[in-house]
Parts: sequence; C-alpha cells; structure tokens
Amino acid sequence: MNKPKIASDWMCGCAGCHMSLLDMDERILQVIELADLRSTPITDLKEPDAGGVDVGVLEGGINNTANEEVAHKMRKRAKILVALGDCAVFGGVPAMRNLCGVEAALRRAYVEAESNEPNSQIPNDPELATMTKTRAIQEVVPVDYNVPGCPPDADVIFYVLAELAQGRKPELKNDLLHWH
Amino acid sequence: MAKITINEKQIEVPEGTTVLRAAEMAGIYIPRLCDHKELTPYGGCRLCIVDVEGARVPMASCTLPVNNGMVVHTETEAIKKSREFILSMLFSERNHFCPFCQVSGGDCELQNAAYHEEMTHWPIQPGWSDFKVDTTHPHFILDNNRCILCRRCVRACGELVGNFTLAVAERGAASIIVADTDVPLGESTCIKCGTCVQVCPTGALIDRTSAYQSHDSQLEEIKSTCVGCSVGCATKIMVRDNRIVRIEGDWEGAVNHGLLCEHGRYDPVTESRKRITSPQIRKNGKLEPVSWNEAMSAVANKIMEDKSGVAAVVSTRLSAETLNAFKELFADKFQSMLVTSVEEGVPTAVVTSFAQKHEAFEGKLDVLRNADTVLCIGANIHRSHMVAGFLFKRNLSKGTRLINIDPESSDLDFMANISLKTKQGSDLALIRGLQAVIVKEGLGRSPLSLPDAGQLIEKAVSATGISLEELNQTAQVLARSISPVILFGKGITAQRDEAIVEELHRLAVLVGAVDSERHGLLSIKGESNSLTATLLGMDKAFELNGQKTVYAAIGDDYVSRSLVERVSKASYLIVQASYESKLTEKADVILPVTIWAEQEGHAINLDGRIQSMQKAITPLETVRENMAVLNEIAARTNTAIESDWRKTILARKSSVSLN
Repeated sequence: MNKPKIASDWMCGCAGCHMSLLDMDERILQVIELADLRSTPITDLKEPDAGGVDVGVLEGGINNTANEEVAHKMRKRAKILVALGDCAVFGGVPAMRNLCGVEAALRRAYVEAESNEPNSQIPNDPELATMTKTRAIQEVVPVDYNVPGCPPDADVIFYVLAELAQGRKPELKNDLLHWH
Repeated sequence: MAKITINEKQIEVPEGTTVLRAAEMAGIYIPRLCDHKELTPYGGCRLCIVDVEGARVPMASCTLPVNNGMVVHTETEAIKKSREFILSMLFSERNHFCPFCQVSGGDCELQNAAYHEEMTHWPIQPGWSDFKVDTTHPHFILDNNRCILCRRCVRACGELVGNFTLAVAERGAASIIVADTDVPLGESTCIKCGTCVQVCPTGALIDRTSAYQSHDSQLEEIKSTCVGCSVGCATKIMVRDNRIVRIEGDWEGAVNHGLLCEHGRYDPVTESRKRITSPQIRKNGKLEPVSWNEAMSAVANKIMEDKSGVAAVVSTRLSAETLNAFKELFADKFQSMLVTSVEEGVPTAVVTSFAQKHEAFEGKLDVLRNADTVLCIGANIHRSHMVAGFLFKRNLSKGTRLINIDPESSDLDFMANISLKTKQGSDLALIRGLQAVIVKEGLGRSPLSLPDAGQLIEKAVSATGISLEELNQTAQVLARSISPVILFGKGITAQRDEAIVEELHRLAVLVGAVDSERHGLLSIKGESNSLTATLLGMDKAFELNGQKTVYAAIGDDYVSRSLVERVSKASYLIVQASYESKLTEKADVILPVTIWAEQEGHAINLDGRIQSMQKAITPLETVRENMAVLNEIAARTNTAIESDWRKTILARKSSVSLN
C-alpha cells in the first residue's frame, strides 16, 4: 500500500509552527516511515502534488490575495486540510491589524515608521498581492482539523500527523489542547 | 430540605440552594463564568445552563433555586452544544489574543471553559471592533478587549467593597466597563483595593506588577496574615523564586473573606525603601559596616553597662512572640523603666485600662456586617483600617446609616448620613449629651438615670459647637436603630481619658449596641499587634527620663517624626531595623533584620483573633530574624527568654475576648 502523502505550506504566520514541527526531532523519521512527506516551505518541493495529497497542512492566516490562492490550491489538492497554529485557526497576532484596518497598518509600517528613507511610500507595484483583512483559514476554505497553539507543541503536531497518517481522527483534548 | 436529582445522583440540599451549588455539593461540575461564591448570583454569562425536566428551555443553574423533586441533567448533548455556542458568542464579542495574554495557559477561566468543551477553534469569528484599554491606574490595567461582561468586578466593587466605582456603560455588544461616569480609572473614585482584579475571570483586569511574571501553577501560595493594620486580613502570598509576585486576599479568611485594601495588596510589591544588608557601627561619626559579632558584642556591652538605664521601644508590626520576648528581656530581665511600643498605647492604652474593670467589653468585627447604624467617632476607618470599613460601607446603599463624628475632615464625611464636626476635646460632653437626649425622650433600651439631662444637653451644644437639632437627630437615629454599632478610634483614645470610653460604653448599653447578646462597641486600635503590645503593658508614652541608651526594634515599620526626635535624644542609639530611615541615620549601631514575609509568628487583631503569619521568602544571609537578635542579646548578657507569649498575654485582662 502506498504511504499517505502529506504536504504543507505557510501563509500569514511567523514560521514558528514549522519550527515546532522540526522540534519533534527524531520523531520526524517515524512520520516519514508512516507518510510520504511531499512539498513543504522548508524542503525543495514547494507545491503540493497536482495529483493530490492526503493531508494538507497550512500555517498562518490569510491576509492577502496570494495567501487566498495558496489556501484554495491546498484545499483543492488535499483530502484532509489541517489549520496549524493560532494564526491559521483564529487569525492570531496578524489579525490585530483588523482593529485599525489595512490602510492604517500599511501607513504605519511604510510611511510613519522611523526610517532612513526620506520619501517612503506604501508599495503599489501591480505585481504585488493585494492586502485584505486577516482571516482564519476557516473563513476562506473549509478546514477539517484545527490545531491551535502558538506554536502547537511538537508533541501535538506529531500526534496529529501520526494519527492522520494512520487513517485515524486526531482528538485534541487535555494536554494536547492549548491555545497559547 | 429539598430533594434534587442531578445526573441521576440524588441529593438533599437546604431550600433556597441554587442548582449550581447543589451540583457542587454532589461533586458535579457545571462550567460557569459570571458566578463567584462571594457575589450575588447574576445569571449573566449563561454558561451554567442545565436541562431541567419539564422546563421548556435550558435554565441558568446559578440563579435557579432547587425545587423538591427537581430532575436536572448537566451533560446532555443539547446542553454541551449550547455551552459551546455560548462560548463561541463570548469569544466573537471581543478581541481575545490568547498567545500573548497574561492569563492564557491555565489562569484564564474563559480559556479553561473552552478547553472543558474541547473547542479547537471559534466557530464564529470576532467582529474586530476596537475596545478601550485604560492604563491610567497605578496598580492595574483594564482592557475591555478581553472582557466578557460577567460584571464580577462591578459586583465586587459594589457588593463587597461598597465603593461603586466600576459600572457598565453603553448597551448590548458595545457595553464596556467604566469607572464612575466614564472617567479614566486613575482619576476615578477607585480606592485601589484591587478586589476587581482578584475576581476577574479573564485578562481584562491585570496587575501591573505581577502581570507576565508567571502562571499561577508556577507560584507557591503561602497563606498568611497581613501586617498592615489591626484588622488582620488573611492573605495568600504568591511567591516565585523567593520573590513575592503578588498578594491576594484569602477567600477563606475569617475577617476579610477575600478582601484587602491598597496597603495590604500593593504596598509589599511596590516597597521602595532601601534595605539594610549589613550590621553597622558608628565609627568617628560615620556608620560603617561591621560583622554581626562586632555589632552584637557592642550592643551587649552597652546593655550590660547601662542595664535598667536602657529605654526600649518596639514596633507593633512584629510578631506577638517577638513583642513578648522584647518585653521580657528589657522590662523583666534588664529592669528598664521605659519599655513601650512605637504606638505608645495611643490607640489602645485607655481601652485596656478600662477593660481591667469591665472585662471584655468590645465586640467582634462581624457585628459590622449587619449593623443598621454605625456610629464612628474619632475613627477615620476608611483611611486607617479600610477593610473593616468595607464591612458596613457595602450596606450603606441598602439603608445602613452612618454617623460620623470627627473634628478632622474624614473620608467618611461624604458617605455619612450625619456628619458632625465637633470641637476638639468635646467628645465627653457630646456623648453625655447624646445619652441625655435619649433618656429625656424615653428612647433608652436599658435604664439610665440622668437627673441633670437638660443641663447635659445644653453643655453638649455649647461644648461641641453643633446645633441642638443635630444633637437630637443623631440621638434619635442611634436610639431608634435595631442593631447599632459604635466604633471609636485614635481621635478618642489619643486623649488618654478613660472617662470617654466609659461614657461610650454607657451610651452603647443605652442604645442597645451592647447587651447580653450583642457586642456592638469596638475600638479599631492601630497596627498589626496593637492589642498584643497593650496586653504586655507596652503602651506608655515614650519620654526619656534619665535613660542614656535607647534600643529601638523597628523591624520593617515606619517611625513617626515625633518619635524619631524623642528617641534620638539618647546619647547611644541601637536600632534593629530592615530599612533605612531617619531613625537609622541617627543610630550608633544598626542591626539588620527580616521583614514581615521573612519571618513567622502570630498577630492578635483588633477583635482578639490570634492569627498566624507565615514565612514566605528566605532573607539575605546577612540579615537576622527579629526574634533571633533578641535571643542572642539574651545569651550575650547571660540571661534567656523563657516565657510563653500566650500565657503572658493572657495575664492581663483584654478589652476583647481572645480566640
């Protein structure tokens, strides 16, 4: 039997959830034994297989049109979609800018911020993705499993991947459930 | 009793018990947020809903009294679903950012409730509207973004503290917690007791000093007694790595039931005095660090030289054990004629001397809880003994009357129904005048013969400077009360006139404040071990009478300027203290000692409770415990401290029964 395929990607997050994934240390070998680890942002292959994967893992929320594309692509190609970490699940720290709006956040970052550049402006290259409100993944595409945590513990990620790779439904409760 | 079945478990509970409490008694946990056992049930958060057989809809168990034969289910699928929905609504209403919240990870009741329902996400996302954050308060921060509108803080501020500073403004989802008429907290009528912070279930109200310093699970909790004043509030000292992170009121506390005042809660964590870390001796006019051995032998030599010529003064913040040892050492062993406390008996001496004739005539603080009239005379209790004030202040809005008699302006003036600004020293005339009006009007509860009532009334009016109407009204209010309480403080006791206490006692008996069942007469005394000091006879004024050497055991106390002046008249001054002060500047020898949290012992509070104080942190190696210093002096002067403090204290009649 073929091993289930797992792919991951990150969007509006800090990469911390993927760092936490690496924190499972030698247990990552056990995951590879159980599953075929395909594309991830920290390996060579960057796009999930066009032919589909069994489990797609997304870190980060969605705060621009590029992230929307990533989310839609992963949703389309993955049988099971996992939202990994508080940004993916709730919106997280980047969602704080929803309180002031995209305009004000960009102005603060590019115009008002202390800088050596005298005439700094908000970048407006048409090639750039358009900024949107920061959203949790479930606000854009349906999510099968939400795995909260900032970041989720390596133990939690290992448990979730191992369960999914073996065709079981991960249940987050007690020590495995934390939002911080 | 009512029979109730909860989750197939049958129990019998007293009528009037709520379903939530009945479930607790049966060992069944119902999730809740707005409920708090010291507050009136409110039914605000709805998280405690249960399924009651025969009821049309789920009911909030916190406000639902049991009915005989009631059958309740708390864990049906429908109820669990509803709870998750309620939590989803709560999360969606505000901006909860768990990753960086102070209480996230065990200390947040909202997050814990979500964990209890095994929620991995919010089914409804927040609307992202920005709510006010108020950082103007010196001790805590109010962040409305984390508020769930459970109103625990609002209820605690009103129901428990009686301050009514916090309130809810606006309506519906826009509701926010505000101070007074929506002024910044730091400029509001807040008295900074911090009870609101202690009851907040989320991170909406957090301490400035303790926030982000640790999770509760990392803290060691040491139950102790506050040494701030004679009320003797039960505290929980929260310690991490030998550092006090914060102080909490102990909900189990017999006196305070969880409440503290600003001094009890925040003074210990905002202490700014400079600690003395080494013994010092004055050499060529300058204080220089020396070894303990050198300092102690200098002290011992001086005492052996002077013996009865040593005047000794001790702080009433120190433990009963230390006070007793101090008294035994200086008064009994060295035969000093001047051994007293820093309070010099101002708040206690007349009370104790009156007690020698009248046995225990004072009541317990609990009488304040259901007093319908409180007469405060010469006692600015709201400033000096705040938590005792909370006990009746909270009832003022429910009809309890407050009569405040004080020549000085007082915090109580604005909350008093009657505020009399009498002339200094007219208390005796006033009290006799009140008695006379009551006797004349035939309102007395016990017989008192006053043939010259008319004269006494005239005298009261002329001596106090208040009008006859005011005198009449005050007497009437007092006499027509069902459960009056008379509180007196330093304004009375500082006059050192036993007759005033005697007349107050007579007035208390006359109006029924004191009878065979009730003891509604209390003096508020001074510091932590005020009563202990007076029972040990250390309640004299400190006036040097030929003594050349003074031994001042100040501990971590503050010393009044007047006492510093009188003490420093001595030609040789030994100071046992924890912090640098005007007194240590003048010392010839300084012995650095532990502070309240670094030593254990007992304190006897104003209503006679003997309470224990625990050691919470380990002091620096170079400072010694107050008691250890006294023991060493005894050893070096070839004597020993032998007496049992409990026995010595019981030897003198107390104004209030000890227990």
